[in-house]
Amino acid sequence: MSTHRMGYVERNSPLHRMDGLSKLLFLLLFLISVIVTQSVGGFLLLIAALLLCARLGKVSWQTVLGGIWQLRFFFLLIFLMNFAFFDAEHAFFSWWIFTFSREGLLFGAKTVVRVLLAMAVGNIFTAVTTPVAITGAMETLLYPLQWIGVPVRDVAMILGVAIQFVPLFLRETDTIKMAQTARGAPFYSRKLSERAGCVLPLVLPVFLSAFKRADELACAMEARGYVRKKGRMPLHRRHFRKADFLCLGGGIALCMLAIFVFR
Amino acid sequence: MMKLSYVKKAIITAACVALCVVLPMAFHAIPNAGGIYCPMHIPVLLCGLICGAPFGLLCGLLGPLASALITQMPPMAYLPPMLVELAVYGLVAGVMMRFVKTKHLYADLYSSLVAAMVAGRIVAGIAKALIFAPGKITLAAWAGAYFVTALPGIIIQLALIPSIVVALEKAKLIPARYPKKRG
Repeated sequence: MSTHRMGYVERNSPLHRMDGLSKLLFLLLFLISVIVTQSVGGFLLLIAALLLCARLGKVSWQTVLGGIWQLRFFFLLIFLMNFAFFDAEHAFFSWWIFTFSREGLLFGAKTVVRVLLAMAVGNIFTAVTTPVAITGAMETLLYPLQWIGVPVRDVAMILGVAIQFVPLFLRETDTIKMAQTARGAPFYSRKLSERAGCVLPLVLPVFLSAFKRADELACAMEARGYVRKKGRMPLHRRHFRKADFLCLGGGIALCMLAIFVFR
Repeated sequence: MMKLSYVKKAIITAACVALCVVLPMAFHAIPNAGGIYCPMHIPVLLCGLICGAPFGLLCGLLGPLASALITQMPPMAYLPPMLVELAVYGLVAGVMMRFVKTKHLYADLYSSLVAAMVAGRIVAGIAKALIFAPGKITLAAWAGAYFVTALPGIIIQLALIPSIVVALEKAKLIPARYPKKRG
């Protein structure tokens, strides 16, 4: 059974089994490749890599393209602005302030494809990596900041707990909203002033409930002996498997091709 | 009740970061609520007031970042000035609560809140004028965006945040700032 948790889709796939750090590094390398690539061949290669990732992660098309359809007018606007205002020597035709050219067409298409690729790879990454794994990977990546006194482990812990809290607080906010609606709060009124007025009775219970949850969690952590000290070990030690090295190698190869061949 | 422990402060900060994601979604039913009611400011200011300057600063940085990553609100173009503004809110609120001690909880809260809100808006305006939109922002535009449009938000924050702090103290979820002497 698949469960949805803040973008994460539970499946048994090679990508799901991989370490969060290798997936995060691949994401960064892929994004660099998307920015650097200039030629059509490069974009085709990136699309092929994206399709392979979606296939390996058993991610549905709805998930890969999630959020893209809502932005269709934004993409159209980007494309038209680049197409109509690109300053080129050989224009198809010019009218008033508009100049339509082959270069503008290509530039507009490239810009849209870049944004699409970045969004799609981000969707795949969040679908195959749990929020906890993302936080753990970010902690490892930010580790050098510890040398200048940034408490990276604490920051990662706070971010991880916050991500776990979000769905819980959303549910509680919904419950409080329904309770207040049952008491007559006009959350769905057509009058803006009425809707604005009933925001206040919502916020105070939400804060009290959130702080109660935080208090319970903090007490539980202290009772189990959570202490802030150097040298704490993670529950699950990170170890790279063959698939993680393949993923990293693929990312590096894509990046090298983008920089040296398709630029 | 004793002072808040480090773990408790960290978890309260995490809860405030989560509320930075959840509250704007709850306000979403009202058009243009983000600019008018500034729902993300409330948890950051509260975190600074309760947990102190370092945690307030952290909440001001992580809150909008987490919200942008999870819900795409605020859009990436608005994120950097917002990060600066909220970080200053959390930092100044914490610093003021550390040094202002008038023996009256409401006086401490209001002086810290007003100082934080003014400092955050000034620093965000300076950052916009010098870094994020150099030469594009005028004094009138800054005052309009940060004080006139956000006036309902400022009123809500001034009315709501001290009440939340008092309610949390009464519920014994945070230690009392000025505990009543027994006997």
